[in-house]
Amino acid sequence: MSSADGDRNPPPLRSPRQELADSTAHGEVYLRRLRHAQLQLSLLALVAFGAVFGVLPLALYLLPGLDHVHLVGIPLTIWIMLVPLSPLFIAIGWLYARRADALDAAFRDLVQR
Amino acid sequence: MIALAAISAVTVGTLGLGAWGVRFVRTTSDLLVASRSVTAWWNAAAISGEYLSAASFLGIAGLELQLGASALWQSLGFTAGYLALLLFVAAPLRRFGSYTIPDFAEARLRSPRLRPLASAIVLLIGGFYLLPQLKGAGLALQVVAGAPYWVGVAIVAAIVAVNVAIGGMRGITYVQAFQFWIKVFAISVPACVLLIHFGGLPGRAALFGQQLPRAPARGLTVNLPGRQAVQFPTAATITIGGRRVTVAAGARRTLPGGVPIHLTAGTAVPVAMGTIAQTGARWSRPVGGTHESSPLLVYSLLVATFLGTMGLPHILVRFYTNPDGHAARRTTVRVLSLLGLFYAFPAVYGALGRALTPQLYMTGQTDTVVLTLPRAAWPGTVGTVLGALTAAGAFAAFLSTSSGLLVSLAGTISHDVWPRLRREPPTGVSVRRWRFRVAALGAMVIPALLALLAQSIDISILVGWAFAIAASTFCPMFLLGVWWTRLSARGAAAGMVTGAVIATAAIFIGLALGDAQTSTVGALLAQPALVSVPAAFLVMIGVSLGDPAEVDASAEMLALHAPEGLGLRLAEDDLDARADLAAAPRA
Repeated sequence: MSSADGDRNPPPLRSPRQELADSTAHGEVYLRRLRHAQLQLSLLALVAFGAVFGVLPLALYLLPGLDHVHLVGIPLTIWIMLVPLSPLFIAIGWLYARRADALDAAFRDLVQR
Repeated sequence: MIALAAISAVTVGTLGLGAWGVRFVRTTSDLLVASRSVTAWWNAAAISGEYLSAASFLGIAGLELQLGASALWQSLGFTAGYLALLLFVAAPLRRFGSYTIPDFAEARLRSPRLRPLASAIVLLIGGFYLLPQLKGAGLALQVVAGAPYWVGVAIVAAIVAVNVAIGGMRGITYVQAFQFWIKVFAISVPACVLLIHFGGLPGRAALFGQQLPRAPARGLTVNLPGRQAVQFPTAATITIGGRRVTVAAGARRTLPGGVPIHLTAGTAVPVAMGTIAQTGARWSRPVGGTHESSPLLVYSLLVATFLGTMGLPHILVRFYTNPDGHAARRTTVRVLSLLGLFYAFPAVYGALGRALTPQLYMTGQTDTVVLTLPRAAWPGTVGTVLGALTAAGAFAAFLSTSSGLLVSLAGTISHDVWPRLRREPPTGVSVRRWRFRVAALGAMVIPALLALLAQSIDISILVGWAFAIAASTFCPMFLLGVWWTRLSARGAAAGMVTGAVIATAAIFIGLALGDAQTSTVGALLAQPALVSVPAAFLVMIGVSLGDPAEVDASAEMLALHAPEGLGLRLAEDDLDARADLAAAPRA
């Protein structure tokens, strides 16, 4: 909430929790902010995922030379498909879940203040 | 015999745990959704156990054998689907507290009229997904016991239907978690033992070099189960039932069944029609090796699996066994790691199979490579035991996924379809439970009959369709319903119908055209998600924007996004009370 809002309204008598429970305009603003913050975080994680995994098929298609690079007798492309992607998914998922829980916790603090 | 014993052990274990679970069934909500007091790791193992189906256990290795390294996109997509689920729907859907997808559609969009549509799509997706499970069962008993194809289909259909009818999901939460570890054990141990036995991958020239799969040094004798049209990639002289036949390169022949066909050492193995003979270098290309691994098709498959996972009815219902949204996120991250563990292994079977079971290219039964490989690779007791292990794991896959699907189908039929047909007032618990049981038995009949017809279609293709339909219908409804206040009931309905019609029509047109699909259009008919998903999104958004923005979705948004523990959520006390009730019988 900006300070301008605070000036227009007298010091709030109602807690954010009440505003939310009664779904007043104020309550909706609190919740919309949380929802937008969560969506931004999800989209950020999606972009991180897409930047690596999403472009991979195209990259492998456009760089057929990679097929001839062998590592311990197995093409590099196969290594790329089998080894690093799963840990990448887990890392993105883990970081996302941590941040999303933190956003929820911050909202809880705000509302219970 | 050992294999049959292992399969029986897995089956009896499943039935036993199901029967044990029935003692705790108290209410209908128990029947539909197991107790919420399950820890994140148990839940993650149960979700993974339910998810790893015939497509993961048999299909990926089979597709890899047939097409090459491009099959690995499928396992990556199957895993990545949980990332999409985590990022966009896991916590909100858990918080919203609907048990099923039709529940969500009705409650979020305040439209009872969406129910029948959502129920119909649940039945469509569930049916498409049950089919390959039963097909896998038919193939498995064929390989293991020499039984006719229909026997395996009938046995697994009957076992799963009876088990679900008597046990519901209550027992199955722990059964599914248990079955996940059975599957990991059954796929990893033979793969590691065989890799150690061979000191790596044998026959590298056919895997990554310039060679085609060839008959091994002692020659190759194949008894085809029936007449089979094949194509010879190179000129060859083969012996059919003692008669020598010479064929030119590229020649097509129909080989007789039941007669020993002998290929001398080094002869390039003929391939069943519909399969393409590839050199190792082409086979090992992840993208662009053949038209079946064109970038367009790879992306279409990735879209289907990435977005389709969240729309699978049997997976979503399991998220309600998490106590809250935070736990739903934690569970999903654990699912990502458990699936990553499992999917490290199917690739081994495809690669070893290319060197050690080239006869599968002739029979066209590439889906059986996980089952046939151990005995072919290591004749004798070790191979038999390892083969029994993979057979048991495959049965765990059929049983767990089919059970989860059937619970969803039976729940939808008994809860949504049946009362609507009879147009009657709400009924008591005992009637609902009885209906659930009858529906569980009835819902298995049509997929089982279709499985008898679908013997020649690859498991991965069948499962790919279920994902494509889920991605084109429920995925847009969830994503927009959770994050966009303007989504209207009319918009959701129009989008889901559009997605379902485009995806289903493409699949059936592709089937009717058969093997003639070598073009871009053919690729999109085989996996229509790249077209049907954007179409569903556009229609959903367009129609919603055309509707007046008068419906206030703030209560729904509160239910979806407000964290627990604030006492804001209408259903919170109600849910806690229900969890207590469900936990009580265990105490």
